Amino acid sequence: MPIKADYVVRETTSNLGRNISITLASVLTVFVSLLLVGSSLMLRTAVSNATQRWQGGIEFVVYMNTNASQDQIDAVAQALSESPEVEGYTFFDQQASYDEFKRLFADSPEMVDSVQPEDLPPSYRVKPVNKSADSVKSLADTFRDRAGVKDVILASKTIQLIQDMSQSLTLIIVVVALGLLFVAGLLILNTIRMAMFARRREIEVMKLVGATNWFIRVPFMLEGLVQGLLGSIAAIIGLVAIRPLFEGWLPKASEIPLVSGFTVSTGSLIGIYLLLLVVGALVGTIGAGVAVTRFLDV
Amino acid sequence: MITLENVTKTYKNGTVALRDASVEIAKGEFVFLVGTSGSGKSTFIRLLNKEETPEQGHIYVAGKDIGQLSSWKVPFLRRNIGCIFQDFKLLPSKTVFENVAFALEVIGRPRSVVQTQVPAILDLVGLGHKAANFPDELSGGEQQRVSVARAFVNRPLILLADEPTGNLDPATSVGIMRLLDRINKTGTTVVMATHDRGIVDTMRRRVIEIDRGNIVRDQARGVYE
Repeated sequence: MPIKADYVVRETTSNLGRNISITLASVLTVFVSLLLVGSSLMLRTAVSNATQRWQGGIEFVVYMNTNASQDQIDAVAQALSESPEVEGYTFFDQQASYDEFKRLFADSPEMVDSVQPEDLPPSYRVKPVNKSADSVKSLADTFRDRAGVKDVILASKTIQLIQDMSQSLTLIIVVVALGLLFVAGLLILNTIRMAMFARRREIEVMKLVGATNWFIRVPFMLEGLVQGLLGSIAAIIGLVAIRPLFEGWLPKASEIPLVSGFTVSTGSLIGIYLLLLVVGALVGTIGAGVAVTRFLDV
Repeated sequence: MITLENVTKTYKNGTVALRDASVEIAKGEFVFLVGTSGSGKSTFIRLLNKEETPEQGHIYVAGKDIGQLSSWKVPFLRRNIGCIFQDFKLLPSKTVFENVAFALEVIGRPRSVVQTQVPAILDLVGLGHKAANFPDELSGGEQQRVSVARAFVNRPLILLADEPTGNLDPATSVGIMRLLDRINKTGTTVVMATHDRGIVDTMRRRVIEIDRGNIVRDQARGVYE
């Protein structure tokens, strides 16, 4: 049986208007919790962007000269493979470095334009067996003077610290946000319950004359969905507003030489926004769904 | 049209509302259920549109065993059954027209059907001129007519009435009974629970008497006691 769109819209909007204060409470709770989730995700993306080269146990990077010969490059590769102290390494040629550069600075096209693949040094990202500072340093030093090697850069404790901090910060924020989302779900559940109570006579008549369960439920489910979506849209607007502040507050790449670009690309932001929309919609629908299945028995 | 086979219904508090009841009601019959308050009349009615389920026995409505009916099919059963009540159950925020139209709208009938059926049924119950009024602007008898219109607008096979004249004075009750009689004459099966001795004795239809959950009398062209 088709459910008429105008009926559903009419019912849903009148329900939303009926309990404006508690609807506002649900929407605001969704908003605050999703704002937290969103900003922690943004922080995380920024940190992982900035410390990209240092993920997965990479402790130092061997940069070759841009004009290093293929023999010189191969020689370093051979030395790395033969060394018992190297657990693994990855080679980034000029094109791969350029691709990474483009990704990291996707939001600064003028920087990307000023650089060509030939300007970037090919590099080896090395994962040593022994991670203690001294042994990493002495291993790294053995590559410093090889032919064709421009420089060897070690991950410092700072990188580790930034990564660890962002990780635990994210964890705490996400736990708090999940708690808030649960509260938001309960609030929405109660809003819907009140809406159903306000309309109990209509519901009774609808059941009596043979309206299907879904016909009765859909306006209430939509009410929950709308509340969740309103909250997540507000959170996205909030994130858009705080993004410049956020990027201003993070240290510039020039302040910490080891990392590059504490930025969040628009691409990953859109991903975060979509995630927030989905989570908001889910919280609203689940809250309303529990309400209609628990309190709307036929 | 309606068959009960050894139906027993006990409520959670232990009250036996119906015990081993077997009844057969043919299409187009008019049946009074009589008995004191709490005798099980209302339970009988509520079992027929599956507001309650029996723990023993089978109930067939329009040839279907409604005990086997999955819950999503119950609304479709109810579209074949009209219901009227002592307290009318009209929606105070809707006009007479809207109250009746509501019953068609929520089962997805197109607007064109609503626009033709509702005025026709309001004329049938004699309230065409009050379509724009709200229920609290009507007398009790008129309100019950609206609820009859709502119950019958979808042309159900069966009309269930739970003390429809319980809140009405005798003169008004007669009007409602004439209306139910007219509906019955169109072929609709009517089952009506009532306390109203005068109505039962005047109409002289089939009477089923229930006493503490037991069917103690089933009499064609019967009287109240």
